[in-house]
Amino acid sequence: MDVQRYISSGILESYVFGMLPETEQTEVEKLVSQYPDVKAALDLLQQDKERFVQLYAVAPPTGIKNRLTEIIRQENTEDGNKLLPEELRAPMNGAKHNGHQVPGKKKPDIEKETPIKYLATPKSSSDRLWKYLTAAIVVLLIGSVVMNFFFFQKSTDYKSRYKSLIATKEKLDAEKEHQALTSSKETTAIPVDPDPLSNPDFKWTQLQGGGAYAGKSVSVGWNAQTQAVYLQAKIMPLPPAGKQFQLWAIVNKKLVDAGVFDTGAELTQELQHMKAVAVAQGFAITLEKKGGSTEPSMNQVCMSAKVTK
Amino acid sequence: MEYTPIYTEAELVQGLKARDQKVFSYLYDQYSPALYGVIVKVLNNDSSAGDVLQEVFLKIWRNNDRYNEEKGRLFTWMLNITRNAAIDILRSKSYKQEQRIQHITDHVNILNSALTVQLSTDYIGFSQILEQLTKEQRTLIDLAYYKGCTQEEIARALEIPLGTVKTRMRNAIIQLRHILNK
Repeated sequence: MDVQRYISSGILESYVFGMLPETEQTEVEKLVSQYPDVKAALDLLQQDKERFVQLYAVAPPTGIKNRLTEIIRQENTEDGNKLLPEELRAPMNGAKHNGHQVPGKKKPDIEKETPIKYLATPKSSSDRLWKYLTAAIVVLLIGSVVMNFFFFQKSTDYKSRYKSLIATKEKLDAEKEHQALTSSKETTAIPVDPDPLSNPDFKWTQLQGGGAYAGKSVSVGWNAQTQAVYLQAKIMPLPPAGKQFQLWAIVNKKLVDAGVFDTGAELTQELQHMKAVAVAQGFAITLEKKGGSTEPSMNQVCMSAKVTK
Repeated sequence: MEYTPIYTEAELVQGLKARDQKVFSYLYDQYSPALYGVIVKVLNNDSSAGDVLQEVFLKIWRNNDRYNEEKGRLFTWMLNITRNAAIDILRSKSYKQEQRIQHITDHVNILNSALTVQLSTDYIGFSQILEQLTKEQRTLIDLAYYKGCTQEEIARALEIPLGTVKTRMRNAIIQLRHILNK
Protein backbone atom coordinates (compact mmCIF):
# COMPACT_ATOMS: atom_id res chain seq x y z
CA MET A 1 0.00 0.00 0.00
CA ASP A 2 1.19 3.51 -0.79
CA VAL A 3 1.17 4.88 2.75
CA GLN A 4 1.94 8.47 1.78
CA ARG A 5 -0.81 8.52 -0.75
CA TYR A 6 -3.20 7.08 1.81
CA ILE A 7 -2.20 9.72 4.33
CA SER A 8 -2.64 12.55 1.84
CA SER A 9 -6.02 11.31 0.64
CA GLY A 10 -7.79 13.14 3.43
CA ILE A 11 -9.28 9.98 4.90
CA LEU A 12 -7.46 10.43 8.22
CA GLU A 13 -8.70 14.00 8.62
CA SER A 14 -12.19 12.81 7.83
CA TYR A 15 -11.80 10.05 10.41
CA VAL A 16 -10.56 12.36 13.13
CA PHE A 17 -13.37 14.84 12.54
CA GLY A 18 -15.88 12.05 12.58
CA MET A 19 -17.47 12.08 9.16
CA LEU A 20 -16.68 8.59 7.93
CA PRO A 21 -19.28 5.85 7.73
CA GLU A 22 -18.67 2.90 10.03
CA THR A 23 -17.14 0.61 7.42
CA GLU A 24 -14.47 3.17 6.52
CA GLN A 25 -13.79 3.84 10.21
CA THR A 26 -13.02 0.19 10.82
CA GLU A 27 -10.75 0.19 7.80
CA VAL A 28 -8.79 3.21 9.09
CA GLU A 29 -8.40 1.63 12.52
CA LYS A 30 -7.07 -1.56 10.94
CA LEU A 31 -4.49 0.32 8.89
CA VAL A 32 -3.47 2.45 11.87
CA SER A 33 -2.55 -0.67 13.78
CA GLN A 34 -0.59 -1.97 10.79
CA TYR A 35 1.36 1.09 9.64
CA PRO A 36 3.32 3.20 12.15
CA ASP A 37 3.43 6.12 9.68
CA VAL A 38 -0.33 6.17 9.48
CA LYS A 39 -0.52 5.99 13.26
CA ALA A 40 1.89 8.91 13.59
CA ALA A 41 -0.09 11.00 11.13
CA LEU A 42 -3.27 10.16 12.98
CA ASP A 43 -1.77 11.13 16.34
CA LEU A 44 -0.78 14.50 14.95
CA LEU A 45 -4.27 15.05 13.59
CA GLN A 46 -5.82 14.14 16.91
CA GLN A 47 -3.64 16.72 18.59
CA ASP A 48 -4.74 19.26 15.99
CA LYS A 49 -8.30 18.46 16.83
CA GLU A 50 -7.65 18.79 20.55
CA ARG A 51 -6.15 22.22 20.03
CA PHE A 52 -8.95 23.20 17.70
CA VAL A 53 -11.57 22.15 20.22
CA GLN A 54 -9.81 24.19 22.90
CA LEU A 55 -10.63 27.29 20.86
CA TYR A 56 -14.25 26.78 21.80
CA ALA A 57 -13.59 26.04 25.48
CA VAL A 58 -16.18 27.56 27.79
CA ALA A 59 -16.15 27.36 31.56
CA PRO A 60 -19.08 25.15 32.58
CA PRO A 61 -21.54 26.36 35.21
CA THR A 62 -20.24 26.01 38.73
CA GLY A 63 -21.90 23.34 40.79
CA ILE A 64 -21.57 20.57 38.27
CA LYS A 65 -18.29 19.47 39.77
CA ASN A 66 -19.71 19.29 43.28
CA ARG A 67 -22.65 17.26 42.03
CA LEU A 68 -20.32 14.89 40.24
CA THR A 69 -18.08 14.48 43.26
CA GLU A 70 -21.11 13.71 45.39
CA ILE A 71 -22.43 11.12 42.93
CA ILE A 72 -19.04 9.44 42.68
CA ARG A 73 -18.60 9.38 46.45
CA GLN A 74 -21.89 7.53 46.81
CA GLU A 75 -21.79 5.41 43.71
CA ASN A 76 -21.11 2.19 45.56
CA THR A 77 -24.18 2.52 47.75
CA GLU A 78 -27.61 1.58 46.53
CA ASP A 79 -28.84 5.17 46.81
CA GLY A 80 -25.82 6.48 44.99
CA ASN A 81 -26.32 4.02 42.20
CA LYS A 82 -29.74 5.48 41.61
CA LEU A 83 -28.22 8.90 41.03
CA LEU A 84 -26.42 7.56 37.98
CA PRO A 85 -27.96 7.63 34.52
CA GLU A 86 -29.75 4.35 33.93
CA GLU A 87 -27.31 3.04 31.37
CA LEU A 88 -24.39 3.55 33.77
CA ARG A 89 -25.93 1.87 36.80
CA ALA A 90 -24.39 -1.25 38.22
CA PRO A 91 -26.67 -4.29 38.18
CA MET A 92 -28.07 -4.57 41.71
CA ASN A 93 -28.13 -8.36 41.91
CA GLY A 94 -25.86 -8.59 44.92
CA ALA A 95 -22.71 -7.53 43.12
CA LYS A 96 -21.22 -4.67 45.06
CA HIS A 97 -19.64 -2.91 42.14
CA ASN A 98 -17.88 -3.66 38.94
CA GLY A 99 -14.83 -1.56 39.57
CA HIS A 100 -12.54 -4.21 38.19
CA GLN A 101 -13.57 -5.79 34.97
CA VAL A 102 -12.68 -9.38 34.28
CA PRO A 103 -9.69 -9.13 31.95
CA GLY A 104 -10.28 -10.36 28.46
CA LYS A 105 -14.00 -9.83 28.65
CA LYS A 106 -14.68 -7.22 26.05
CA LYS A 107 -17.48 -4.76 26.30
CA PRO A 108 -18.92 -3.10 23.24
CA ASP A 109 -16.78 -0.16 22.18
CA ILE A 110 -18.93 2.79 23.01
CA GLU A 111 -16.16 5.31 22.52
CA LYS A 112 -16.06 4.43 18.85
CA GLU A 113 -17.29 7.20 16.61
CA THR A 114 -21.04 6.93 16.42
CA PRO A 115 -22.07 5.45 13.15
CA ILE A 116 -23.59 8.16 11.06
CA LYS A 117 -27.20 7.47 10.39
CA TYR A 118 -29.38 10.27 9.34
CA LEU A 119 -29.23 13.90 10.13
CA ALA A 120 -31.06 16.67 8.47
CA THR A 121 -28.49 19.06 7.10
CA PRO A 122 -28.61 22.60 8.43
CA LYS A 123 -29.69 23.68 4.98
CA SER A 124 -32.86 21.64 5.10
CA SER A 125 -33.43 22.67 8.71
CA SER A 126 -33.35 26.30 7.67
CA ASP A 127 -35.70 25.38 4.83
CA ARG A 128 -38.03 23.93 7.39
CA LEU A 129 -37.69 27.03 9.50
CA TRP A 130 -38.79 29.09 6.53
CA LYS A 131 -41.66 26.74 5.93
CA TYR A 132 -42.85 27.20 9.49
CA LEU A 133 -42.35 30.90 9.28
CA THR A 134 -44.25 31.13 6.01
CA ALA A 135 -47.03 29.00 7.43
CA ALA A 136 -47.23 31.24 10.47
CA ILE A 137 -47.38 34.35 8.28
CA VAL A 138 -50.08 32.86 6.06
CA VAL A 139 -52.14 31.93 9.10
CA LEU A 140 -51.74 35.44 10.46
CA LEU A 141 -52.75 36.92 7.13
CA ILE A 142 -55.86 34.77 6.85
CA GLY A 143 -56.72 35.57 10.44
CA SER A 144 -56.34 39.25 9.75
CA VAL A 145 -58.54 39.11 6.65
CA VAL A 146 -61.24 37.27 8.58
CA MET A 147 -61.03 39.75 11.44
CA ASN A 148 -61.17 42.66 9.00
CA PHE A 149 -64.27 41.24 7.39
CA PHE A 150 -65.84 40.57 10.74
CA PHE A 151 -65.13 44.01 12.14
CA PHE A 152 -66.17 45.70 8.90
CA GLN A 153 -69.49 43.87 9.06
CA LYS A 154 -69.90 44.92 12.63
CA SER A 155 -69.00 48.53 11.95
CA THR A 156 -71.45 48.83 9.05
CA ASP A 157 -74.03 47.21 11.25
CA TYR A 158 -73.36 49.79 13.94
CA LYS A 159 -73.42 52.56 11.36
CA SER A 160 -76.82 51.60 10.05
CA ARG A 161 -78.16 51.11 13.53
CA TYR A 162 -76.78 54.49 14.51
CA LYS A 163 -78.43 56.08 11.48
CA SER A 164 -81.77 54.53 12.22
CA LEU A 165 -81.47 55.67 15.81
CA ILE A 166 -80.80 59.22 14.65
CA ALA A 167 -83.76 59.03 12.30
CA THR A 168 -86.00 57.74 15.07
CA LYS A 169 -84.81 60.46 17.37
CA GLU A 170 -85.46 63.15 14.75
CA LYS A 171 -88.90 61.78 14.13
CA LEU A 172 -89.62 61.72 17.83
CA ASP A 173 -88.31 65.27 18.25
CA ALA A 174 -90.48 66.48 15.40
CA GLU A 175 -93.48 64.75 16.84
CA LYS A 176 -92.76 66.18 20.23
CA GLU A 177 -92.46 69.70 18.85
CA HIS A 178 -95.61 69.26 16.85
CA GLN A 179 -97.36 67.95 19.86
CA ALA A 180 -96.16 70.82 22.01
CA LEU A 181 -97.53 73.31 19.50
CA THR A 182 -100.85 71.56 19.08
CA SER A 183 -101.20 69.86 22.42
CA SER A 184 -104.06 72.10 23.45
CA LYS A 185 -106.08 70.51 20.72
CA GLU A 186 -106.14 67.31 22.71
CA THR A 187 -105.72 68.54 26.26
CA THR A 188 -108.17 71.43 26.35
CA ALA A 189 -110.71 69.69 24.21
CA ILE A 190 -111.96 67.84 27.22
CA PRO A 191 -114.81 70.22 28.05
CA VAL A 192 -116.31 69.91 24.64
CA ASP A 193 -118.31 72.92 23.80
CA PRO A 194 -121.72 71.82 22.53
CA ASP A 195 -121.97 74.57 19.94
CA PRO A 196 -119.59 77.52 20.17
CA LEU A 197 -121.41 79.30 17.36
CA SER A 198 -124.69 79.60 19.26
CA ASN A 199 -123.16 79.78 22.72
CA PRO A 200 -123.40 83.38 23.98
CA ASP A 201 -120.26 82.89 26.10
CA PHE A 202 -118.21 82.85 22.92
CA LYS A 203 -117.19 86.17 21.55
CA TRP A 204 -116.63 86.01 17.82
CA THR A 205 -114.09 88.25 16.26
CA GLN A 206 -113.86 88.66 12.51
CA LEU A 207 -110.31 89.06 11.18
CA GLN A 208 -110.25 90.77 7.80
CA GLY A 209 -107.18 90.50 5.63
CA GLY A 210 -105.39 93.42 4.03
CA GLY A 211 -102.77 93.78 1.36
CA ALA A 212 -101.99 90.37 -0.13
CA TYR A 213 -104.76 88.96 2.02
CA ALA A 214 -107.43 91.53 1.08
CA GLY A 215 -110.84 89.94 1.02
CA LYS A 216 -109.75 87.02 3.19
CA SER A 217 -111.44 86.49 6.48
CA VAL A 218 -111.18 84.26 9.52
CA SER A 219 -113.42 84.27 12.55
CA VAL A 220 -112.17 83.42 15.98
CA GLY A 221 -114.49 82.50 18.82
CA TRP A 222 -113.20 82.90 22.36
CA ASN A 223 -114.86 81.88 25.57
CA ALA A 224 -113.27 84.01 28.29
CA GLN A 225 -114.67 81.72 31.01
CA THR A 226 -113.45 78.38 29.67
CA GLN A 227 -110.55 79.99 27.77
CA ALA A 228 -111.53 77.82 24.79
CA VAL A 229 -110.77 79.19 21.36
CA TYR A 230 -112.32 78.06 18.09
CA LEU A 231 -111.37 79.20 14.66
CA GLN A 232 -113.21 79.18 11.38
CA ALA A 233 -110.99 79.73 8.32
CA LYS A 234 -113.83 81.11 6.24
CA ILE A 235 -111.96 82.56 3.32
CA MET A 236 -108.30 81.69 3.48
CA PRO A 237 -105.93 80.48 0.76
CA LEU A 238 -103.83 77.33 1.13
CA PRO A 239 -100.45 78.30 2.61
CA PRO A 240 -97.37 77.96 0.42
CA ALA A 241 -95.53 74.60 0.68
CA GLY A 242 -93.79 74.14 4.02
CA LYS A 243 -95.80 76.97 5.61
CA GLN A 244 -98.83 77.12 7.86
CA PHE A 245 -101.00 79.85 9.29
CA GLN A 246 -100.77 80.47 13.00
CA LEU A 247 -103.16 82.26 15.35
CA TRP A 248 -101.86 84.59 18.03
CA ALA A 249 -103.68 86.18 20.95
CA ILE A 250 -102.78 89.83 21.43
CA VAL A 251 -102.02 90.28 25.11
CA ASN A 252 -100.76 93.72 26.17
CA LYS A 253 -99.51 94.37 22.62
CA LYS A 254 -97.61 91.08 22.61
CA LEU A 255 -98.46 88.06 20.52
CA VAL A 256 -99.07 84.81 22.41
CA ASP A 257 -99.20 81.53 20.52
CA ALA A 258 -102.68 80.08 20.06
CA GLY A 259 -101.80 77.28 17.71
CA VAL A 260 -101.63 76.61 13.98
CA PHE A 261 -104.63 75.90 11.80
CA ASP A 262 -105.33 74.49 8.40
CA THR A 263 -107.02 76.25 5.53
CA GLY A 264 -108.66 75.26 2.31
CA ALA A 265 -112.00 74.87 0.60
CA GLU A 266 -113.06 71.84 2.68
CA LEU A 267 -112.41 73.63 5.93
CA THR A 268 -114.34 76.87 5.43
CA GLN A 269 -117.19 75.79 7.75
CA GLU A 270 -115.00 73.67 10.01
CA LEU A 271 -114.48 74.77 13.60
CA GLN A 272 -110.84 74.26 14.53
CA HIS A 273 -110.06 73.95 18.19
CA MET A 274 -107.14 76.19 19.10
CA LYS A 275 -104.97 76.52 22.18
CA ALA A 276 -106.55 77.93 25.29
CA VAL A 277 -106.26 81.69 25.72
CA ALA A 278 -106.74 83.29 29.15
CA VAL A 279 -106.48 86.94 28.24
CA ALA A 280 -106.78 88.53 24.83
CA GLN A 281 -107.32 92.05 23.60
CA GLY A 282 -107.30 90.81 20.02
CA PHE A 283 -106.15 88.14 17.62
CA ALA A 284 -103.64 88.09 14.81
CA ILE A 285 -102.70 85.57 12.14
CA THR A 286 -99.24 85.14 10.70
CA LEU A 287 -97.78 82.86 8.08
CA GLU A 288 -95.22 80.62 9.75
CA LYS A 289 -93.24 77.53 8.90
CA LYS A 290 -95.20 74.31 8.97
CA GLY A 291 -95.95 73.24 12.54
CA GLY A 292 -95.79 76.79 13.81
CA SER A 293 -93.23 79.01 15.51
CA THR A 294 -92.71 79.97 19.10
CA GLU A 295 -92.15 83.63 18.13
CA PRO A 296 -94.34 85.30 15.52
CA SER A 297 -92.81 86.55 12.30
CA MET A 298 -93.94 90.17 12.45
CA ASN A 299 -93.41 90.77 8.73
CA GLN A 300 -95.74 87.90 7.95
CA VAL A 301 -98.85 89.19 9.71
CA CYS A 302 -101.82 88.51 7.46
CA MET A 303 -104.59 89.98 9.50
CA SER A 304 -105.54 91.01 13.00
CA ALA A 305 -108.51 92.33 14.89
CA LYS A 306 -109.49 93.51 18.34
CA VAL A 307 -111.88 91.57 20.43
CA THR A 308 -115.13 93.49 20.62
CA LYS A 309 -116.28 94.24 24.13
CA MET B 1 -3.19 25.75 49.96
CA GLU B 2 -4.09 22.42 48.54
CA TYR B 3 -1.39 20.80 46.60
CA THR B 4 -2.44 20.16 42.99
CA PRO B 5 -0.21 17.62 41.40
CA ILE B 6 0.57 17.75 37.71
CA TYR B 7 -0.06 14.36 36.24
CA THR B 8 1.54 12.82 33.23
CA GLU B 9 -0.70 11.21 30.66
CA ALA B 10 0.26 7.75 31.93
CA GLU B 11 -0.50 8.74 35.53
CA LEU B 12 -3.84 10.10 34.51
CA VAL B 13 -4.77 6.90 32.72
CA GLN B 14 -3.60 4.84 35.62
CA GLY B 15 -5.38 7.05 38.13
CA LEU B 16 -8.63 6.90 36.22
CA LYS B 17 -8.45 3.14 35.93
CA ALA B 18 -7.74 2.90 39.63
CA ARG B 19 -10.72 5.17 40.31
CA ASP B 20 -8.66 7.82 41.97
CA GLN B 21 -11.04 10.64 42.86
CA LYS B 22 -8.20 13.17 42.88
CA VAL B 23 -7.41 12.26 39.29
CA PHE B 24 -11.05 12.61 38.43
CA SER B 25 -11.11 16.07 39.97
CA TYR B 26 -7.99 16.97 38.02
CA LEU B 27 -9.48 15.71 34.77
CA TYR B 28 -12.56 17.76 35.41
CA ASP B 29 -10.63 20.93 36.10
CA GLN B 30 -8.37 20.38 33.14
CA TYR B 31 -10.80 19.32 30.48
CA SER B 32 -14.34 20.34 31.43
CA PRO B 33 -14.14 23.74 29.65
CA ALA B 34 -13.09 22.10 26.36
CA LEU B 35 -15.72 19.37 26.68
CA TYR B 36 -18.39 21.85 27.71
CA GLY B 37 -17.45 23.97 24.70
CA VAL B 38 -18.02 20.99 22.41
CA ILE B 39 -21.45 20.33 23.93
CA VAL B 40 -22.52 23.97 23.69
CA LYS B 41 -21.38 24.15 20.10
CA VAL B 42 -23.08 20.91 19.10
CA LEU B 43 -26.37 21.80 20.77
CA ASN B 44 -26.02 25.48 19.90
CA ASN B 45 -27.37 26.45 23.29
CA ASP B 46 -26.32 25.94 26.85
CA SER B 47 -29.57 25.30 28.65
CA SER B 48 -29.10 21.53 28.60
CA ALA B 49 -25.32 21.51 28.13
CA GLY B 50 -24.63 21.28 31.86
CA ASP B 51 -26.66 18.10 32.21
CA VAL B 52 -24.89 16.59 29.22
CA LEU B 53 -21.50 17.49 30.69
CA GLN B 54 -22.39 15.80 33.95
CA GLU B 55 -23.47 12.68 32.12
CA VAL B 56 -20.28 12.72 30.05
CA PHE B 57 -18.06 12.79 33.12
CA LEU B 58 -20.03 9.97 34.70
CA LYS B 59 -19.51 7.96 31.53
CA ILE B 60 -15.81 8.69 31.64
CA TRP B 61 -15.73 7.57 35.26
CA ARG B 62 -17.91 4.50 34.96
CA ASN B 63 -16.51 3.30 31.65
CA ASN B 64 -12.90 3.92 32.56
CA ASP B 65 -12.00 0.38 31.62
CA ARG B 66 -13.01 0.96 28.04
CA TYR B 67 -10.28 3.43 27.34
CA ASN B 68 -7.77 1.94 24.89
CA GLU B 69 -4.41 3.72 24.84
CA GLU B 70 -3.60 2.37 21.41
CA LYS B 71 -6.43 4.31 19.87
CA GLY B 72 -5.34 7.70 21.07
CA ARG B 73 -4.73 9.99 23.97
CA LEU B 74 -7.04 10.12 26.96
CA PHE B 75 -8.32 13.56 25.95
CA THR B 76 -9.18 12.25 22.48
CA TRP B 77 -11.20 9.48 24.09
CA MET B 78 -12.97 11.95 26.37
CA LEU B 79 -13.70 14.17 23.39
CA ASN B 80 -15.20 11.24 21.50
CA ILE B 81 -17.49 10.39 24.39
CA THR B 82 -18.52 14.03 24.66
CA ARG B 83 -19.17 14.58 20.99
CA ASN B 84 -21.16 11.35 20.69
CA ALA B 85 -23.26 12.15 23.73
CA ALA B 86 -24.00 15.67 22.49
CA ILE B 87 -24.83 14.54 18.95
CA ASP B 88 -27.11 11.82 20.35
CA ILE B 89 -29.01 14.53 22.18
CA LEU B 90 -29.03 16.73 19.09
CA ARG B 91 -30.60 13.94 17.08
CA SER B 92 -33.11 12.88 19.69
CA LYS B 93 -36.66 13.59 18.68
CA SER B 94 -37.64 15.58 21.74
CA TYR B 95 -34.59 17.81 21.42
CA LYS B 96 -35.34 18.54 17.77
CA GLN B 97 -38.86 19.52 18.64
CA GLU B 98 -37.65 21.86 21.32
CA GLN B 99 -35.20 23.42 18.91
CA ARG B 100 -37.81 23.97 16.27
CA ILE B 101 -39.79 26.16 18.59
CA GLN B 102 -36.62 27.87 19.72
CA HIS B 103 -35.62 28.50 16.10
CA ILE B 104 -38.85 30.21 15.26
CA THR B 105 -38.56 32.59 18.18
CA ASP B 106 -34.87 33.11 17.46
CA HIS B 107 -35.70 33.88 13.91
CA VAL B 108 -38.18 36.51 14.92
CA ASN B 109 -35.48 38.07 17.05
CA ILE B 110 -33.07 38.01 14.15
CA LEU B 111 -35.63 39.69 11.94
CA ASN B 112 -36.15 42.29 14.63
CA SER B 113 -32.48 42.99 14.99
CA ALA B 114 -31.76 42.88 11.29
CA LEU B 115 -30.19 46.30 11.42
CA THR B 116 -27.94 45.63 14.36
CA VAL B 117 -24.56 44.05 13.87
CA GLN B 118 -24.91 40.32 13.63
CA LEU B 119 -22.26 38.21 15.23
CA SER B 120 -22.62 34.50 15.13
CA THR B 121 -22.18 33.39 18.70
CA ASP B 122 -20.25 30.44 17.33
CA TYR B 123 -17.26 32.57 16.60
CA ILE B 124 -17.25 35.13 19.35
CA GLY B 125 -13.83 35.33 20.92
CA PHE B 126 -11.89 33.23 18.47
CA SER B 127 -13.22 34.70 15.30
CA GLN B 128 -9.86 36.19 14.52
CA ILE B 129 -8.12 32.84 14.55
CA LEU B 130 -10.78 31.04 12.61
CA GLU B 131 -11.31 33.85 10.16
CA GLN B 132 -8.12 32.71 8.57
CA LEU B 133 -10.00 29.68 7.39
CA THR B 134 -12.30 30.21 4.46
CA LYS B 135 -15.99 30.23 5.23
CA GLU B 136 -16.31 26.94 3.41
CA GLN B 137 -13.56 25.39 5.50
CA ARG B 138 -15.19 26.52 8.70
CA THR B 139 -18.55 25.19 7.60
CA LEU B 140 -16.96 21.91 6.56
CA ILE B 141 -15.39 21.33 9.98
CA ASP B 142 -18.51 22.47 11.81
CA LEU B 143 -20.82 20.20 9.85
CA ALA B 144 -18.53 17.21 10.19
CA TYR B 145 -17.45 17.53 13.78
CA TYR B 146 -20.16 19.48 15.54
CA LYS B 147 -23.22 18.43 13.59
CA GLY B 148 -22.16 14.86 12.78
CA CYS B 149 -22.96 15.16 9.08
CA THR B 150 -21.97 12.43 6.67
CA GLN B 151 -19.86 13.08 3.59
CA GLU B 152 -22.99 12.92 1.47
CA GLU B 153 -24.75 15.50 3.59
CA ILE B 154 -21.71 17.76 3.54
CA ALA B 155 -21.38 17.44 -0.23
CA ARG B 156 -25.01 18.43 -0.57
CA ALA B 157 -24.79 21.28 1.91
CA LEU B 158 -21.67 22.79 0.36
CA GLU B 159 -22.68 21.88 -3.18
CA ILE B 160 -19.40 20.16 -3.92
CA PRO B 161 -18.82 16.74 -5.51
CA LEU B 162 -18.83 13.84 -3.06
CA GLY B 163 -15.37 12.77 -4.26
CA THR B 164 -13.76 16.02 -3.17
CA VAL B 165 -15.14 16.16 0.37
CA LYS B 166 -12.15 14.27 1.84
CA THR B 167 -9.56 16.37 0.01
CA ARG B 168 -11.29 19.57 1.03
CA MET B 169 -11.27 18.28 4.59
CA ARG B 170 -7.56 17.61 4.35
CA ASN B 171 -6.87 21.10 3.01
CA ALA B 172 -8.97 22.62 5.76
CA ILE B 173 -7.07 20.75 8.47
CA ILE B 174 -3.71 21.61 6.92
CA GLN B 175 -4.74 25.25 6.96
CA LEU B 176 -5.97 24.89 10.52
CA ARG B 177 -2.69 23.33 11.63
CA HIS B 178 -0.83 26.14 9.95
CA ILE B 179 -2.89 28.72 11.84
CA LEU B 180 -2.57 26.92 15.17
CA ASN B 181 1.21 26.62 14.80
CA LYS B 182 1.69 30.30 14.12
